[in-house]
Amino acid sequence: MPAIQGIQLSKSYRHYQVLRNVSFEVAPGECYALFGPNGAGKTTLLKVLATLQKPSSGRFEMMGYDGIQDRNQVRGVLMMIAHGSYLYSELDAVENLRFAAGLRSLSPTAREIKLALDRVGIGAFADFKIRYFSEGMKKRLSIAKAILIRPKVLLMDEPYSSLDERGIAMMNHFIRESLEQGAAVLMTSHNRVQSAEVAGKAGVLHQGVLREIAVKDLVAPHELF
Amino acid sequence: MNFFNVIRWLAWKDLLSEMRSRENISSMFFFAFIVILIFSFSFSMDQKTAQELMPGIMWVAFIFTGIIGLGKSFTAELQNDCLENLQMNPIPRGAIYLGKLVSNLLFMLVVEVILFPLFVIFFNLDIFEKIPLIMLILIAGTLGVSAVGTLFSAMTVQIRAREVMLPILLLPLIVPVIIGAVEATGGVLQGESVLLYRPWIELLIIFDVIFTIVSFWVFEFILDY
Repeated sequence: MPAIQGIQLSKSYRHYQVLRNVSFEVAPGECYALFGPNGAGKTTLLKVLATLQKPSSGRFEMMGYDGIQDRNQVRGVLMMIAHGSYLYSELDAVENLRFAAGLRSLSPTAREIKLALDRVGIGAFADFKIRYFSEGMKKRLSIAKAILIRPKVLLMDEPYSSLDERGIAMMNHFIRESLEQGAAVLMTSHNRVQSAEVAGKAGVLHQGVLREIAVKDLVAPHELF
Repeated sequence: MNFFNVIRWLAWKDLLSEMRSRENISSMFFFAFIVILIFSFSFSMDQKTAQELMPGIMWVAFIFTGIIGLGKSFTAELQNDCLENLQMNPIPRGAIYLGKLVSNLLFMLVVEVILFPLFVIFFNLDIFEKIPLIMLILIAGTLGVSAVGTLFSAMTVQIRAREVMLPILLLPLIVPVIIGAVEATGGVLQGESVLLYRPWIELLIIFDVIFTIVSFWVFEFILDY
């Protein structure tokens, strides 16, 4: 059973069709890297899969749950790391992690939280309010959140943006570890070389149409779109 | 149990954020304080006139103050796309409503409890033995405003003219609360028999029950597709 299966997904905003009959599969333990120019519909596809937007037509399944009928079950298996950090500025790093875990009925210990923060390299900033965090630090904290929650499906919108070199290496290490634990990852990216290190499948979304490509094409010196 | 956990976590997050930023309560307090000053210096009143006018002035101040706080309740969630995160989490929508209702209610009550003595001083009233009844009316009236206001705050958060739309939608619907609260407060201040103003308190309680239940149910359709 695929972890994520998109079946003829389409999405329109008034008369503008963003996604056109997009179909794809991501198996458990597999990473699908999605490329495409700005405005191609990559983020829209992630928002549809994250149950934030209803597809205009088509359907999708996540871990066997119907993406529209069983939205709450789908929400229980997924987590998204996106441009917005989903963090509260007046809370510190630990409080943000406790809040995120609490909403999912998880209660990580202080040690688990410390380990997660240390792993993403911001252990020294545990009691700093998020308003003082840089975008890269916020991205690292989002990874710490994922380490604690351990979702079965990870949706990542440009996971390498705002990260320094160490951060990118840490992100890829985290993705590989998640894949080893059986999670499915669907990520959008503009970073072909870094994505090629973890992706098992790749696709190009252009003008709303998805075309699958070989992962080895990611590192080839020709243009994807 | 997750239902009550979500309420607790949301209220905790809002209260902690407010304790640190004091954005909501300080703007609410200063607005209401200015209203008290303007009205107390605009009219020269004997105690009888003050008892007649004060309930109306007080509730106008409390309700407009409340609208300031309610307006910020969900706009705060737009920062870092936190509202998206709430929508993506596997949590009952009704629990989000109740969590927000609890924090909105507490913000309004805190401001009212601070301001009420100022009303008493500026309007030169003797109300010491009437405090328990006044508190009951404050809680019942404020719950009614918060119950409907929390719903409309969520409904208007995604639209551009939300600052204008919230009072336009909210004020007509809470007319029964305004009338009930003003009449009940006036009855208590003027030392009328309980039998005369009890129906107004009952109206407030019935309004609270009906609109909390209806808003709780409607909220499911507001924060989801």
